Amino acid sequence: MRIACLWVPDLPLVATLRAEPHLARLPLAVVQAGSDLAEARSSATGAGRTRGASKMMRHVLACTPAAEGVSRGQTLAEARAICPGLQIRALSPERVRAAAQAALEAAGALSPRLEEKEPGLIHLDVEGLERLIGDERMVARELVRAAERVGLCAAVGLAQGKRVASLAARAALPDLALEVTSQGLSGGAFRVVPQGEERAFLEALPLLALADLISDELLHGLHRFGLHTLGEVARLAPGPLAARLGPEVAALHRLARGEDQGALVPQPLPERFEEGEELEWGLSTLEPLLFVWKALLDRLAQRLILRGLMAQELLLQLQLEGGGWDERRIDLAGPTREVASLLQLLRLHFEGQPPESPVRAVRLCVVPTREVLEQLPLFGPRGASATQLAAAVARLSALVGPGRVGRPVAPDSHRPFAARMEKFAPPPPPILPEPVQAQLSLAARALRPPRHAEVRCDGQGRPTLVISEGTLADGSATVRAANGNRRFGEDAGRLPGGRVVGVSGPWRTLAEWWTSAPISLDAYDLELSDGLLIRASRETASGAWWIEAIYD
Amino acid sequence: MTALLNRRVIDPEALGELLRSGQVRRAPPGWPDSPGSPELPRAPRQLPLGVPAFDAALGGGLTRGWLHEIIAPPSAGGTALLRAALGAATRAGELCALIDPADAFDPAPSDIDLRRLLWVRPREPAQALRAVEIALEARFALVALDLGALPTRRAPHGSPDLNDLKWSRLGRRAERHGGAVLVLTRSAQAGSFAQVTLELQRGAVRWEGKAGLPGRLLRGASSVGAVARARRLSPSGPLPLLLPLEQR
Repeated sequence: MRIACLWVPDLPLVATLRAEPHLARLPLAVVQAGSDLAEARSSATGAGRTRGASKMMRHVLACTPAAEGVSRGQTLAEARAICPGLQIRALSPERVRAAAQAALEAAGALSPRLEEKEPGLIHLDVEGLERLIGDERMVARELVRAAERVGLCAAVGLAQGKRVASLAARAALPDLALEVTSQGLSGGAFRVVPQGEERAFLEALPLLALADLISDELLHGLHRFGLHTLGEVARLAPGPLAARLGPEVAALHRLARGEDQGALVPQPLPERFEEGEELEWGLSTLEPLLFVWKALLDRLAQRLILRGLMAQELLLQLQLEGGGWDERRIDLAGPTREVASLLQLLRLHFEGQPPESPVRAVRLCVVPTREVLEQLPLFGPRGASATQLAAAVARLSALVGPGRVGRPVAPDSHRPFAARMEKFAPPPPPILPEPVQAQLSLAARALRPPRHAEVRCDGQGRPTLVISEGTLADGSATVRAANGNRRFGEDAGRLPGGRVVGVSGPWRTLAEWWTSAPISLDAYDLELSDGLLIRASRETASGAWWIEAIYD
Repeated sequence: MTALLNRRVIDPEALGELLRSGQVRRAPPGWPDSPGSPELPRAPRQLPLGVPAFDAALGGGLTRGWLHEIIAPPSAGGTALLRAALGAATRAGELCALIDPADAFDPAPSDIDLRRLLWVRPREPAQALRAVEIALEARFALVALDLGALPTRRAPHGSPDLNDLKWSRLGRRAERHGGAVLVLTRSAQAGSFAQVTLELQRGAVRWEGKAGLPGRLLRGASSVGAVARARRLSPSGPLPLLLPLEQR
């Protein structure tokens, strides 16, 4: 089986440069996370030299080529002494996790059958891809490009079997060149081992190249026997070698002969796309967070584009000072991957509900869905796109408050003029619009909540006079379901009142008696002397009158 | 192509995106665009109200990019006309927004396709006007602003929330984004900033059955409307309206 190996060497460094690509040309070292990075930086300037020695004992995990003389394993103090202008970044688990996931998605863009051996090391089945992409060199090049599109600089090996592909990827390492692009890093390299040439490829490989694949004990044993390359191992008989060095060398011997029989164990791709960032200090204002979100959304958008997906849900997770997480779900009216709109939604959501304490870390999660392409009309004005709708709903919610924007729905209730809201998610426009027909009818303007009124009745109980409780401007009106909110219409509207010149009713409603708020009303349609048509009702239990609506 | 754009039948923004994406290629120089060439379908500039008399008087209905004002006393059918416009537009597949500061909308009747209606309930006039602007920017085809709970007289210089400056700005936004704005008021609010003013007056109330006897039913009302003022159109004569009442 033809297997490709996508390997991101120095994943902590690449993850850091993916978030801060401008550091690629500078001397930079990624060190173990531990103490506060700001303190480490101040110590670099001499201000913190007296701080605890434990902070100085952090070790370098990876460094850029510009950091001459610095190497993995050095302590921070040693690295600074060798390279005085060294930039320091602490290992960020959020960045590493996001970079590893991005590598997985880059591989998934080419083949759905893939296996992640470890973060940043992925094997994928590329059998048959030559019919879609081209020869194997083009497949490998496409894999390198896919990694670059999500901001990663990767080495790709393509060979028969997983271990040979891994070794091919390692063989491509010298060709890697860290380059900065608008999307992050580029400069990946690849090595293709044609079918049948595995043994020739492995022949000259030093055993040290397998240091991560075989035990140190075996490596030393082989060296003691004077064996330094895989070719030398392959030329020996496997039986006597295994008798002396154990069964592990038998597998190595098969590998040296190009017989890689490791099976690929495919695994599903993650269902969520995540990007995160730890902040150096707590942020409680919006503007700095916008910069962080913009970078995260840019990277998420690149990953979505690579897979041909869109965001159908956006989750914002904020780690607050104290360690707690504040999780928020941002409603999207439709699938989108437009960074500007998503950023605006985040901004509006944050403004509407600022966190209780400063933010120490941010994580954005996207639940993807299949790409929805917007069909632009050529003849006629362009309508609202799903993205614009999502942004508009968010802006309106931020303006008027939550729960006051949405699609109106008539609930299944006997309560007069009841209404509720649901999420606004309009269907696509019809291909053939319905013919427009006149449906003009007297409409009811609901009074929510209903207004109290005094109603005089004749001897048969029919209303003859409606006396409202003054105007609404002075706030004296009584409402049946007081919610305490002062509303626009209440400031200036005047309650209807006057002599009743026409009556229709009563229309009795007895419902919801099984609930704590039963309905027992006698409703009347009334024409008042000033021409107003109203719907009034009398509670059968208390005899109180309420004006429910005005016909208009 | 330039001639086509000058005809104002193609949205230049949409065309630009199509050209950039390669879905449409530029025509070679000398592409025939003579009067004899086949006529391209024209964009529907009007959103019909669904009321034939008013549609005829308005030259087809509400005009995209214009500010329309309905001035009607309570129970004269202003809300009915507003709902008719929303119903016609949503059933035609257009997205509409209803800015309803009085929270008076009743979703029970089936005259409107509620799936295509965004209902916004602002708390104050400034919010209501800002909500209209946001809806226009989002390219809703019809944005209805229900100010039916406002006082019946207009303040001499307009209220601080609804002054001439705000209406002027609203008109410009409508023109810029191409959405039709329909405002329902009890007295003239937008004034000359509205390109079209519709006026309604109450008529007789229609009852069925004898007064004082059980079983009497309110069957509806009638009113008289008119296009009082419209840009490029003559004011209409009286337009009678029948407003039947759907029993709940």
